[in-house]
Amino acid sequence: MKQPQDWTDRARALLDASAQHLDGATVSRLNQARQRALAVQAQRGASGWVWSRRLALAASLALAAVMFWPDARNGANPAATASAALSPEDAELLADGALELTDEPEFYAWLDADDEHNG
Amino acid sequence: MPLDRVEASTARQRLDGFLRGVERRALRMAEFATANREEALDLVQDAMLAFVRNYAAKPEADWPPLFHRVLDSRLTDWHRRNQVRSRWLSSWWPAKNDEEAEDPIATAPDPGEVGPLARLMGEDAGQALDVALKQLPLRQRQAFLLRIWEGLDVADTATAMRCGEGSVKTHLWRALNALRQALEAHR
Repeated sequence: MKQPQDWTDRARALLDASAQHLDGATVSRLNQARQRALAVQAQRGASGWVWSRRLALAASLALAAVMFWPDARNGANPAATASAALSPEDAELLADGALELTDEPEFYAWLDADDEHNG
Repeated sequence: MPLDRVEASTARQRLDGFLRGVERRALRMAEFATANREEALDLVQDAMLAFVRNYAAKPEADWPPLFHRVLDSRLTDWHRRNQVRSRWLSSWWPAKNDEEAEDPIATAPDPGEVGPLARLMGEDAGQALDVALKQLPLRQRQAFLLRIWEGLDVADTATAMRCGEGSVKTHLWRALNALRQALEAHR
C-alpha cells in the first residue's frame, strides 16, 4: 500500500527532469558562473601561495644573515668587533671605554720588542 | 609540481564537482522564487561567488547546507526587495502569509489517497507542479525543495534557512498540504 507522501517521489523525479532539460544557453551561463567563482578561489589560493613563498624567503634570508654574518649583529659597535680577539678582561675594559686601541703598527712593534727584551 | 599546488588543484576539482552537481537545481530554485531566468542566473552566480569566498575552506560535508544558506539568503533578499517594490507599485497585490492559521485536520492528506501527481502524466504533471511551487510562500517552498528535492535533513535545512528545526517542520507541513491541494485542483 502506498503511503500518503509517496507523491513526493514523483515530484522529485519531475523536478530532476526539469533541471536536466535546461537549454544549452542556460547551461553555458551556469558553466561561466561556476568558472568565475572558481577563478576567485584560484586567485586567492595563488595569492596565499605567493605570500607564503615570500615569507619563507624572508625568513631564510634573516636566518642566513644571523648564522653566516655574525658581524652584522654588532656592526654598529666597532669596538665590540675587536673585542673578539681580546681576553675577557680586556673586552670588559674596552666596553667601558677604559682601553683604547691604536692603529699605529710601530706601537705594536715596540710592544713586542719590549716583551722580548724583558724576557 | 609542489605539494601545495597539487592540493590546490585537487581542492578546485572538488569544488568544481560540487558546484556542477548543485547548480541546475539551484537555478530551478531561484526560478521558482523569481519567475525570471535572468534574475535566477544572477542570483545563482552571486551565491556561487559568495559560497566560494566564504565557505570553500570548510569541510566538504558541510558544503550543501552552506551553499543553500547563501542561496537562500540571496532569494530572501530578492523577495524582500521585490515586496517593497510591489508595495510601492501596487497596493492590491497581497503577499502570502506563512503564518496564516490553517486547520491541520482539514488539510491533512487522506491516508487512502495515492497522491495528486499520480493522476497527471508527463508535461502536464511537470507544469502543474511548477505552477503550484511558484504559488507557495518562499519559506514553505524552500523547506519543500531543500528537504524533499535536495535531500537535506531537518538540521541542515534549518542551517540553510537560518531558522529552527521546528520552523522547518512547520513550513514543510504547510508546503506539503498546500501542494497537495493545488495539485488536486488539476484533477
